[in-house]
Amino acid sequence: MSILAYNGAAIIAMKGKDCVAIAADRRFGVQAQTVSMDFDKVFEMGPHLFVGLPGLATDVQTISQRLKFRLNLYELRENRRIKPQTFMSMVSNLLYERRFGPYFVEPVIAGLDSKTNQPYIASMDLIGCPMITDDFVVSGTCSEQMYGMCESLWEPDLSPDDLFETISQALMNAFDRDALSGWGGVVYIIEKDKVTKKLLKTRMD
Amino acid sequence: MALASVCGFDFKAGKSKLSLGFGEGFGGPSAVDALAASQSFTVPQGIDISQNLARFTDEKSDVKIHFDHGTTTLAFKFKDGVIVAVDSRATAGPYIASQTVKKVIEINPYLLGTMAGGAADCSFWERVLAQQCRVYELRNKTRISVAAASKLLANIVYDYKGMGLSMGTMIVGWDKRGPGLYYVDSDGERLDGSVFSVGSGSVYAYGVLDSGYKWDLAVDEAYDLGKRAIYHATHRDAYSGGVVNLYHMRETGWIKVSQTDVQELHFKYKAEKK
Amino acid sequence: MEAMAMMPYQQEQTNHIERPIQHRFSPYDFNGGTVLAIAGEDFAVIASDTRLMTGFSILARDVPKTTQYTTNTVVGSCGFHGDVLTLTKVIQTRLKMFTYLHQKEMDTSSVAAMLSTVLYYRRFFPYYVYNIVAGIDTEGKGCVYSFDPVGSYERETYRAGGSASSMLQPLLDNQIGMKNQEGAKQVPLAKAKAVALVKDVFTSAAERDIHTGDAVCIHVITKQGTTKETYPLRRD
Repeated sequence: MSILAYNGAAIIAMKGKDCVAIAADRRFGVQAQTVSMDFDKVFEMGPHLFVGLPGLATDVQTISQRLKFRLNLYELRENRRIKPQTFMSMVSNLLYERRFGPYFVEPVIAGLDSKTNQPYIASMDLIGCPMITDDFVVSGTCSEQMYGMCESLWEPDLSPDDLFETISQALMNAFDRDALSGWGGVVYIIEKDKVTKKLLKTRMD
Repeated sequence: MALASVCGFDFKAGKSKLSLGFGEGFGGPSAVDALAASQSFTVPQGIDISQNLARFTDEKSDVKIHFDHGTTTLAFKFKDGVIVAVDSRATAGPYIASQTVKKVIEINPYLLGTMAGGAADCSFWERVLAQQCRVYELRNKTRISVAAASKLLANIVYDYKGMGLSMGTMIVGWDKRGPGLYYVDSDGERLDGSVFSVGSGSVYAYGVLDSGYKWDLAVDEAYDLGKRAIYHATHRDAYSGGVVNLYHMRETGWIKVSQTDVQELHFKYKAEKK
Repeated sequence: MEAMAMMPYQQEQTNHIERPIQHRFSPYDFNGGTVLAIAGEDFAVIASDTRLMTGFSILARDVPKTTQYTTNTVVGSCGFHGDVLTLTKVIQTRLKMFTYLHQKEMDTSSVAAMLSTVLYYRRFFPYYVYNIVAGIDTEGKGCVYSFDPVGSYERETYRAGGSASSMLQPLLDNQIGMKNQEGAKQVPLAKAKAVALVKDVFTSAAERDIHTGDAVCIHVITKQGTTKETYPLRRD
């Protein structure tokens, strides 16, 4: 079995009109055994910047901390908020440093530009090859299911409320067809002047 | 031996393996004629069957044949009969192929079988068992005992030992000796007992079952225990889920008690804790 | 060893061919394809794409994976096309024998039961085929049966099979099974809506799955018989 599927995860990021959303499941498991149902996989990296880390749980936590450390140094040195594009390069760089002994995570980044408030989403593979899109990105053990859902449900210029509904339905129906992810969900809706965090009531099997 | 011959085992020809009474003339394991082969078992010649198949069920193989696999099942005897409870999830790798599988196989009004392991293996061989139990009834003018029925199944799968069958089943029934419960698996094991749970979620089910089990359980308590044990297994085990199907074997035959979505149970039990 | 030590160059040459290379005939291939079936109140819809692939190359763009077995039974089969053809041939012969013997067509549920045993008799050398049977049951209701390669089967109201099944199935759960929609009522699915949904989800699948594309062939089955329609998908 792949190390990337050892703990199980499902993460989606989506663009809307002047807003972005990022959603993740809450399971921490060891192969078939579900250990906890309140595990964080999405981390706040700034007021309008979030990163989702699906993959090996130990690397998820290590990377989230190392990223926060590098981000703090950057913002202290530059004395300004980081742009999502720049943050994406930082993540990519961190992962490529371990090109021949990689961290087993495939990150998803979602945020609004600190100056222009333009929505930004990106995902990358475990050695940091970025993929920037205009619609949605998915990552985790049920990526096929999430692609199927997003491809049919997503449409351009969704309002924050519609975006929440779309991303939640995409996530829940996708991980309900995956044994290794699910057990609760969390959605962050990121707008210019507020970020809303919502927990989803989902199947618990 | 008498029972065996009554039930169509042909020991004389030494080919009981591949022609368990499925008619004359179709016993050959040849794949040359696809039509003839569609009415009897086809076996590739000159290679190890289980290893040959393993090449294609392997994770790394390009050609992936995923068989559906079943998962948490339990049964226990108590003063008013036998309770059978099962989940309903089938997985192919991490993909959930179905949430609506019927893992209790209704062999006849006095016999139930459960399904864990290969879904096709369980349903096919328990169908064969049903046929042979009916033949027994017609010949002997009496119902087959649970012991005999379970032994029939155990003997069939023992013939195929080492060929890669995968089944872990409980045969539940009621005969003149009272409630009967046997565990039979594809290794040829056959055990008589009062509490069994089979499948990847069985460890969780046993935990609940052992802490709540008594012989003198009231019927409602027994139903609740069965449901709880399956629910807790579906909650912790990734490969179990869907609905709980609950059956009760009584002196007058089995009844299907309920079919409950585990999501419903989750919030019910959660509310009870507060 | 000593001789080799004297000629390090030669050792380097032979180093990477030390291991014997095993060649073995593989009796299977994967030819892609997606099948989707939906059962309605008095109808059933079954559709498949028409692309045939091996690896990254397209073998044909006009091969539907669906076969009509009786007036109101259509089967969708994908996986290894060689096995699909053999299995189809076997089932059709068996159906012909049944018709001659009983002077009537086999009904859908019996076709499903027979397919299950035919598949299981190859338990030790399986047909690498995922089947979905759609038709009308004896009560006139639409029915769908889905199978694994060795004949485990189940009646359902909707099912996606084949290479893009994991993309389509959650969407069907949501749109037809009304999963994760609290308080939503189950309304009977209209024929036109089912066909529209099929076109929609196949367009989505063709977008992401390289094994699915070219066109989708849709059969609508009612008691009276079957109609067939082809709808184009992306061809790249």
